Amino acid sequence: MATTLMPGQKRFTPSAILADLTLLAWFVFSLFPIVWLVLLALKTDAEQTTTYFSFSPTLDNFGTVLSDRGEELTSVDFPTALLTSVLNCAGAVLVSLVVGIPAAYAAGRWRFRGSNDLMFTILSFRFAPELMVIVPLFVIYNQIGLFDTTVGMIWVLQLVTMPLVVWILRSYFQDLPEDLEHAALLDGYTRRRAFVMVALPLVRPGIAAATLLAFIFAWNNYIFPLVLSESEASTVTVAITKFLGGGGQAYYNLTAAAAVIAALPPLVLALTIQRYLVRGLSFGAVKS
Amino acid sequence: MSTLTRTDGSAQHTVAQSLVLDRLHKTYTSRGKTSFEAVKGIELSIEPGEMVALLGPSGCGKTTTLRLVAGLETVTDGDIRIGATSVADLPPAKRNVGVGFESYALYPPLSVRQNLRYGLRARKVRDADQRVDTLAARLEMTELLDHRPADLSSGQKQRVALARALIRNPPVLLLDEPLSHLDAAQRQRVRRELKVLQREFGYTTIVVTHDQLEALSLADRIAVMDGGVIQQFGTPDEIFDDPANRFVADFVGEPNINLVDGVVQRSGGKTFVRVGDAGMLPVTATGVADGRAVTVGLRPQDCHTGVGAEQPALEGEVRVYENLLEFGQATVDVPGVDEPVVVQTPADERLAGGDVLRFAADAGQVYLFDDDSGERLR
Ligand SMILES: Nc1ncnc2c1ncn2[C@@H]1O[C@H](COP(=O)(O)OP(=O)(O)OP(=O)(O)O)[C@@H](O)[C@H]1O
Ligand SMILES: [Mg+2]
Repeated sequence: MATTLMPGQKRFTPSAILADLTLLAWFVFSLFPIVWLVLLALKTDAEQTTTYFSFSPTLDNFGTVLSDRGEELTSVDFPTALLTSVLNCAGAVLVSLVVGIPAAYAAGRWRFRGSNDLMFTILSFRFAPELMVIVPLFVIYNQIGLFDTTVGMIWVLQLVTMPLVVWILRSYFQDLPEDLEHAALLDGYTRRRAFVMVALPLVRPGIAAATLLAFIFAWNNYIFPLVLSESEASTVTVAITKFLGGGGQAYYNLTAAAAVIAALPPLVLALTIQRYLVRGLSFGAVKS
Repeated sequence: MSTLTRTDGSAQHTVAQSLVLDRLHKTYTSRGKTSFEAVKGIELSIEPGEMVALLGPSGCGKTTTLRLVAGLETVTDGDIRIGATSVADLPPAKRNVGVGFESYALYPPLSVRQNLRYGLRARKVRDADQRVDTLAARLEMTELLDHRPADLSSGQKQRVALARALIRNPPVLLLDEPLSHLDAAQRQRVRRELKVLQREFGYTTIVVTHDQLEALSLADRIAVMDGGVIQQFGTPDEIFDDPANRFVADFVGEPNINLVDGVVQRSGGKTFVRVGDAGMLPVTATGVADGRAVTVGLRPQDCHTGVGAEQPALEGEVRVYENLLEFGQATVDVPGVDEPVVVQTPADERLAGGDVLRFAADAGQVYLFDDDSGERLR
């Protein structure tokens, strides 16, 4: 384990130690906000504005956030928001996969009239700032009755998830040798079965990566649920901020506890999907 | 030895089929770029059960031709017929051809056995396992059956790819460089077994290669291809002894043919070609004007030594002599000829640098080509 060195690598050279220290510093630096968040979540109301590291930790905040008491304090139904977020994001990712995988395959395999323009259009969803499109979307959503609905949220989140799915998977499909599918066609499989039985299983790592990224991006989205939903379809990202209390008292410790809870679903998803991500690297049996 | 059974569930195997490529054209068009004509009107008529080698340099359109026949590229113009049926518009699955891909096209997550079975599954063949075992035994790959493609060397992958093409017993078999990654000993054995299988089952076969030894040993007829055009289609003997043009003469034959400048000369009712300052060779060509400048082709193997002083011959000083055991090879500077001429000499006739060698060839083996077009002059 720790003793496996690359050929020619020495263990304790000055530059190796320096590199390790730099990495450690970076590690602490990037992890600090998370540590701070967790600490804050464990503090009582009285201690919430202190910066001490030593205090008597309590799990009460988590209980408050997840129970009716949180709603009484801030009028936010956090558990419902959590569920809404899961539904919205899972729905958005699912729709993106169902539509995006065939789209990515087509775009990766064939050049058809306008294929480049189409791909660019899909990509452009990502670099148009959300604040730019939100006002017209708000007007449209109000007029056609999609405001504050799950369907509306899933739909608008396609702007976030679809480009990721299509662009990630297109490159996976492009890297697959076409001859694999050709061999299946010659064996008597139809185009569709060659796609389902040959191409699709081989891009599973790509699907896993795209699913994870799309879910995280959708999960973290703030502007769309903030403007396009009120209560029914309001999500955790919006709910968290309510604990900061618009006008009333700010509960930093509750905000932190809510944020910690909100970070769990993507984490769980990442851990579940992880093995598919890694396994993809060990195929490599195709001569290119 | 057990044989592969021809009766399979789908029962679509018939007797050997002829394969005809009729003025076949393929133009690749990619938007924004100029289009590229990779195949320019190929005509090939292959007999049922015949094995034809497609021989040519890299990029001449061999793979493209195979892919057209397999249905993996759309035909720009012309027709492809298997038996009496035109297949040019049929999807690959309906053509019933087996293809051995240059890139192997093995499915990474499956074992070799599963890969081979995969090809039978779509057509619901019943005795699939037995077929796999029998074919694996004949291609010396039984021990590979339980490995994944990733564990195999390129030579082993190539044998699996060959097996995958053969497993369905297709009436038409297309092989793209099927033996290129095998080592020398394996190559000979697999080549022989391929030939035996092909004979036994009567696959009408096109095998793409740029190894002429492979073409000679496998094929009944050879199609020499260059620049998207079939330069000559004939038996190995015809290709070797009666080349249609300068390209074929130059491409086929090891060591390469000597190509030197010459001038046609008629005297006493006979035709000769003058080479260099004083060299003279007899030719059979009768339709060439006296005094015409031509390119002369002379194979090292066709040269014979010990030519009398009164007979037409070439003469020059040996620059290098190589003793290759079964024969010798002399590189000779013939006065007035730019390039040295390579001559194959009998093994018992040892030469050394500086010796003077006098050599000639039979009139039928001295080929004349047009200087510009390279066409054979007869
Ligand atoms: N999809 C394509 N689009 C455009 N040009 C192509 C395409 N496929 C092949 N070509 C071109 O067509 C020509 C013939 O290619 P092909 O693969 O048939 O050659 P080949 O004879 O099989 O060569 P090799 O011996 O190197 O395999 C090449 O010049 C190649 O660049
Ligand atoms: Mg090729």
